[in-house]
Amino acid sequence: MLTSLFLATVEAHGAVAGASEPGPLESIQHTLDSLGFEWHYIVFQGISFLILFGVLYKFFIKPTIAAMEERQQKVESGLKYAEDMKAQLAASQQETATLIKNAQLEANKIIEESRKTAKDFADKIQKESSERANDQFAKAQQAIELEHKKMLADARSEIARLVVTTAERVLTKKLTEADRASYNEAAAKELSSV
Amino acid sequence: MAANKKTQQLARQLFKLSLVDGRISAERVTGVLGYVEKLQPAHPLAVLKIYQRLVATELAKSQAVVEHAGAVSDSLLQTIAASMTKKYGRAITASTRANPKLLAGLRVRVGDDVYESSVSAQLGTLAASV
Repeated sequence: MLTSLFLATVEAHGAVAGASEPGPLESIQHTLDSLGFEWHYIVFQGISFLILFGVLYKFFIKPTIAAMEERQQKVESGLKYAEDMKAQLAASQQETATLIKNAQLEANKIIEESRKTAKDFADKIQKESSERANDQFAKAQQAIELEHKKMLADARSEIARLVVTTAERVLTKKLTEADRASYNEAAAKELSSV
Repeated sequence: MAANKKTQQLARQLFKLSLVDGRISAERVTGVLGYVEKLQPAHPLAVLKIYQRLVATELAKSQAVVEHAGAVSDSLLQTIAASMTKKYGRAITASTRANPKLLAGLRVRVGDDVYESSVSAQLGTLAASV
């Protein structure tokens, strides 16, 4: 098409300049003829090229461009999604870190409270055990003291019984009838005075 | 219950009939026994048991049983009887009963009352005080 426009321009210039001497346009025409240049072939090839270009554009280039644009959009959306995901991941990581930190603080607090509770419980148990041990010790001392007193009382009673028994045996053997008569007189006086 | 009460009343009446000047009379006791044998009141065995207990109690009140270890002279017994008669305000006779467990000394029992002055009692007091 450009070629046709160029040729029309050259012809118009040749008409204005005159036909006495061969102008540049005739010399170009002459050169093209010598090279076998045919205008109708050029036009035919141009039309064929345009038809081919139209067909290629409609059925190959345009879908390809659309596919490329779609792919480009997908890639861009994927990149955007990846960036969003990255941002979300960062935010999630930050949130997770915050949660972990809070959880750690809470855990430390719970551990501290547990330690305090355990210490209080251990102190309480120790105090109760100590009181119980002291109570049992006091009871044991009382029991020992009572046992000691009972033993002393039993020993005293047994000694008294032995002394009385021995005295009775000795008196049974040693007291004479005269002694008994004398004692009876004294007893009679005592009973009479009651 | 009513029969038991009547039996006790009859026994007490018979016991009162057995006293002469506040003392048990053997003649009266013989008469009472003949009366019971002859008339046969209701529940005669129960009446006689109660009557016997009352007579024995009264006799024990007028008798001092002197338990002794060793010899006891008559004058000693009379002294004790006189003392108890004076103490209780009624005639009390003394009887003896040997008791070697006393070791030495006397134990006088008048009714439910007991008076004792013996080596055995003193040893018992000593054992109890230790």
